[in-house]
Amino acid sequence: MPDGPLIVQSDKSILLEVDHPRADDARRAIAPFAELERAPEHIHTYRLTSLGLWNARAAGHDAEQVVDTLLEYSRYPVPHALLVDLAETMGRYGRLTLATHPTHGLVLQATDRAVLAEVLKSKRTAGLVGERVDDETVVVHPSERGHLKQVLVKLGWPAEDLAGYVDGEKHPIDLASPTTPRTPTEEPHTWEMRPYQAQAVDGFFHGGSGVVVLPCGAGKTIVGAGAMARSGTTTLILVTNTVSARQWRDELVRRTTLTEDEIGEYSGSRKEIKPVTIATYQVLTTKRKGVYSHLELLDARDWGLILYDEVHLLPAPIFRMTADLQARRRLGLTATLVREDGREDEVFSLIGPKRYDAPWKDIEAQGYIAPADCVEVRLTLPEHERMLYATAEPEDKYRLAACAPGKNRVVEQIVASHPDDQVLVIGQYLDQLQELSEHLDAPLITGATTVRERQKLFAAFREGEISRLVVSKVANFSIDLPEASVAVQVSGSFGSRQEEAQRLGRVMRPKADGRTAHFYAVVARDTVDQDFAAHRQRFLAEQGYAYRIVDAEDLGATDTAR
Amino acid sequence: MADVPDGAGAPAGPLTFTESLRSRDDAGLVALLRARPDLATPSPSTLRSLAARASSRTSLERALAHADARTLQVLEAVLALADAGPVGAPEVARAVGADDVDPPGGPEGSDRPDARAAVAQVVDDALAAGLLWDAGTPARPDLRVCPGLDDALGPYPAGLGPRRDPGARPDPSGVPDARAAGPRLDDLPRGGREVLEALAWGPPVGVVPAPGTPARAAVDALVGTGLLQRTDARHVVLPRDLGLALRGGRTHRSPELAPPRPAGRAIGAETADTESASAALDLVRYVDLLVAAWEETPPSVLRSGGLGVRELRRTAQALGCDEPVAAFVVELAATAGVVADDGDAPPSYRPTTVADTWDDLDDADRWALLAAAWLPSRRTPWLVGSRDEKGTVRAALAPDLHRAWVPRLRRHVLGVLAAQPGTALDLDAVMAVLRWRTPRTVPPEQAVGGLLAEAALLGVTGAGALSGPGRALLAQPDPDAAPGAAPLPAAGGLAGAMRAALPDEVDEVLLQGDLTGIVPGRPSQSLARLLERSAETESRGAATTVRFSTASVTRALDHGTTADELLADLAHRSRVPVPQPLAYLVRDTARRHEAVRVGAAGSYVRSADPTTLAGLAEDPRLAHLGLVRLAPTVLASSVPAGELHEALRTRGLLSALEGPDGRVLSARWRRPPRLERDADPRRRGPVARVDTARVESGDTSDEARAALVARLRATDRGEETAVDRLAARAAARPSHALGPEADAGPGRSAPRAGTSRPRHGGPLPGDTMAVLHDALRDGRSVWIEMVGPRGALERRELKPLRLDGGRLRALDPVREAELTVAVHRIAGVEPADG
Repeated sequence: MPDGPLIVQSDKSILLEVDHPRADDARRAIAPFAELERAPEHIHTYRLTSLGLWNARAAGHDAEQVVDTLLEYSRYPVPHALLVDLAETMGRYGRLTLATHPTHGLVLQATDRAVLAEVLKSKRTAGLVGERVDDETVVVHPSERGHLKQVLVKLGWPAEDLAGYVDGEKHPIDLASPTTPRTPTEEPHTWEMRPYQAQAVDGFFHGGSGVVVLPCGAGKTIVGAGAMARSGTTTLILVTNTVSARQWRDELVRRTTLTEDEIGEYSGSRKEIKPVTIATYQVLTTKRKGVYSHLELLDARDWGLILYDEVHLLPAPIFRMTADLQARRRLGLTATLVREDGREDEVFSLIGPKRYDAPWKDIEAQGYIAPADCVEVRLTLPEHERMLYATAEPEDKYRLAACAPGKNRVVEQIVASHPDDQVLVIGQYLDQLQELSEHLDAPLITGATTVRERQKLFAAFREGEISRLVVSKVANFSIDLPEASVAVQVSGSFGSRQEEAQRLGRVMRPKADGRTAHFYAVVARDTVDQDFAAHRQRFLAEQGYAYRIVDAEDLGATDTAR
Repeated sequence: MADVPDGAGAPAGPLTFTESLRSRDDAGLVALLRARPDLATPSPSTLRSLAARASSRTSLERALAHADARTLQVLEAVLALADAGPVGAPEVARAVGADDVDPPGGPEGSDRPDARAAVAQVVDDALAAGLLWDAGTPARPDLRVCPGLDDALGPYPAGLGPRRDPGARPDPSGVPDARAAGPRLDDLPRGGREVLEALAWGPPVGVVPAPGTPARAAVDALVGTGLLQRTDARHVVLPRDLGLALRGGRTHRSPELAPPRPAGRAIGAETADTESASAALDLVRYVDLLVAAWEETPPSVLRSGGLGVRELRRTAQALGCDEPVAAFVVELAATAGVVADDGDAPPSYRPTTVADTWDDLDDADRWALLAAAWLPSRRTPWLVGSRDEKGTVRAALAPDLHRAWVPRLRRHVLGVLAAQPGTALDLDAVMAVLRWRTPRTVPPEQAVGGLLAEAALLGVTGAGALSGPGRALLAQPDPDAAPGAAPLPAAGGLAGAMRAALPDEVDEVLLQGDLTGIVPGRPSQSLARLLERSAETESRGAATTVRFSTASVTRALDHGTTADELLADLAHRSRVPVPQPLAYLVRDTARRHEAVRVGAAGSYVRSADPTTLAGLAEDPRLAHLGLVRLAPTVLASSVPAGELHEALRTRGLLSALEGPDGRVLSARWRRPPRLERDADPRRRGPVARVDTARVESGDTSDEARAALVARLRATDRGEETAVDRLAARAAARPSHALGPEADAGPGRSAPRAGTSRPRHGGPLPGDTMAVLHDALRDGRSVWIEMVGPRGALERRELKPLRLDGGRLRALDPVREAELTVAVHRIAGVEPADG
């Protein structure tokens, strides 16, 4: 005990010394209940949150185990108040359960009458529950199952959902190995799920519903396919956009026994409903005359499984719709549970607790994602631009800084230093991207580019026919650019952590030759651009990526040095 | 308390309380004075007056206030059993139930002898304290309560009714006798048993039921047989002997011989010490922040004294804690003398020179300084924010937050925790023990809660149990008990205890690429200073997490550190090389930091008109001023402003001195010096360090007590002659002939009155009261000299009826009238014998 790898702080953070001989054991031991907050090179910081502790309870860990783990690995005595609080918090989960009553149907049961009385007294549960069956049981309207769970989490008494799931319509799905080629040039190859993917599928299925957290490029689609094969039922897949939908379709055809005829696309352009249907968030949230006109999709078939891609982007209306789907198995896939809008608790209550999580660095160390070198290039603005910037209106400052003309030269320089790599240039402002595209003589993909054109360009990029591509934020999500080993970011949307994760993901896919990926961010010095960059820098450093800052003037020197 | 000798042939014991005192040996008297210190101050002049004082209401109330539950039980039992023949410790033990109930919390069951021995011990203690006296002999004890105690214990001791009026006793043969097996419950009227049982365990007074009900019939029947007595039209009372009989001769259901041992949470010693250390570090940090905050902007003192609500809120913000905690920190810092009222006009609170010492101490010594100040502190910070009787909000540091009882209660509270080591007790548990300790004066729950909270904040408790450092603090000498001890107890042992509990110091920081640094332990003082200056603390506890930012690095640069020095300092303390982003941050900040240049100058010259300044810098006559042109309108000089001013005036420029705010000054601004601690006691605010020496300088050692006893004995022996002398003098005055002194027969020395002649011999109020008490007890008349309404002395023979609350009610047999006399108007009392 005196020499453990953990230091437990009274503010509920846990520090893990990475180089400690028992660090790996400790990491595995605390992973079920502590959220990894940041993972820089020496000391990782985890945090104990109510949701995290409830996640652990849902996964079958009890407070005693958690306390024992902390005591076992802690270097110093663990603050007493924290242990008390921890046991108290974990004790709150499962005092209430949602169950199916033989005569009354869906009921909320309590092992503690006082708790039931407390939640029923709250105004928020009014209307969600029906009559009292007895002191410990109250009828729940089946349609309010999701809402009630949401409210209970907010009240601090999360209910364990034991009411089970409808089986859904059976539809045989199996994983296919070797793969089914999608293009004439593609060779079939044998494959199998990676160990962590299999663990994720097991974790999810054992828990019933929940979220699997895997870094970009770690093969979330395969986890989805694995879950579908295990379920063997009709499946509704909700994705962020059409490109992503097509990629899901391709990947499912390639890796499962599903044929193209069995997979439907429900998007702005096509409205097919097949045993496996892929729908975009956008079409679901489209309103006609104030009502969601595509809600019938959710009831169109007796779905046995609902898959949410990129859960952290799930729009709020979908949460509301999903609240009604509590009787079906739900799997959320995401790279991060952190939501910019802070709706983590809705993910917890409506989709389910976290069922699997693996730190990026670990997966990278296992060789499944590429190691990355992150460089922030600071560009000193010339005098007149600084003056312009200093006198600009606050709302224009970011645009001015982000679109500094000097960046073009820097990007050129960077691109020139990677002559043999597939380079992706990512930006926010179309004028700037247009300019860059001309400078670099590289094709440009924006929101205005047609899907066909996009796919053609992506394919060409993948095949290596073109080695440079300039993309706007449409590329942020769910496009698959396997061989992009260099990404250059010239402007971003205000330093969002989530965006950073996505962009980094663009270059994190494993490289055929195991090359190091490079991620450059070009930043105008002494401007808000730099402040936003500080956010990104922090995020990347917290994710454990080596992060350097170089001056634009030194760029050539560094490169030659390398 | 009837003082009638019990039976003719009984061996002779003392006949009165006074006599019992007189028959004590010196050690016994010393023990009495030790048990009841109030009897010795001011020193009584005679044993009689000592006895009178010991049986006075004030002194008894005081003694009862300090009596624990078991003592009260024993006193009540003795009082209740008074009619039933001689009472000894075994009878008392039986009455309180020690015979058949094991003492709660005792080691194991079946320890009845222990319970009896405990009762006997309580009886002995009560005898020593003069709350009981023994009218019997060692062979056949006959315990009595001290005269006046029956009043003090209230009308229904142990919930028993009044004694039956002897005249009202019905036919003795039919009356249940308390000593007999029990009342004849078979003969009771219908429903009578229920009525009696309802009243048996008290309160003994019942409301008469409505007429016509069966209950009323039963009550009427009981009253008819004399088993109940009517006190007025609506109430009946169960007489004492009957109540006792119904209780089976018992006075209490169960004995409360040992303090309750509430079940608390078990806390390991290590846990308690860890929590204690972390609380101590927090507190020390709070005081640090307080000194810094108040040095920067000293808060002003309210006109009525104390710190205003807004200032307290501001301080709480600076400390990063809530206001009650801030109030405690402020009070503690003031008690320790770290901050004080500067006595200026208008006054404000500032750090004192103790704060300078503070800066040089390590964490453990700092804590010891605070803890040693806390132990004898009389402040009640928990009252801050509440309202007093006039509705004014009580302010922190206000003079009226002093309470003399705080140190004693603090020791009691800590004592309760110390009695159950390794156990966390909550407020209710501590209150239960305190309630047992002094049932008649239960300390206010708010104060106990406040003290417990303070103990937790100070780290005297950890996780609710007394910690190692807490025990060390409690072991410090109590200045109240041992006045000879130094006012500030030696803090060495204290600091040592805390040092043992504090985690080891670490002199290493792990720097990371995300601009954080982690000290895996308690940072050493030098490391703490470095990080405090160059980074923001994000998380404290067993380890410290800091984050470097532009602002924090700027702060370090502001302190005069250069980028290279800072990086070298950090590299020196880091196991790993300084990460590139951090190095970049430091250098980048330094680059921008240098964009604004600062130089040293003694003073400056500025003018709106450049031509005025033209040529000054080049003037050889002003070369000694070291003038440098910074801008056309500003020159800097290396000499002080005063000298520059003089030189320019000499050259013919009409210069004027200006202050930092640009206003024209006549004198130079200077930083107000820190206060010399305790420099001028008159200036000390109400919260200046409380002198821990006793307020009453009376010597309370046993030697002093023995000396007093010796003096009393001497007076007592000389009393005889004094009385003779007085009698002689009285006889010489025909108009005020004193009755002859009571002819004290052998064995009846009773009212050997120590007479007092206020006009001659000086007031002897104790004796006056003693004579009155004796007269009251014996139902005799006395001669009372009293000051009449016009200020003239009157002398009347009166028969005292009641002495209560500073008033004497007496019957004037001559005028056949009752009158009430304020005791302070009585100038002298003499027994009027015959």
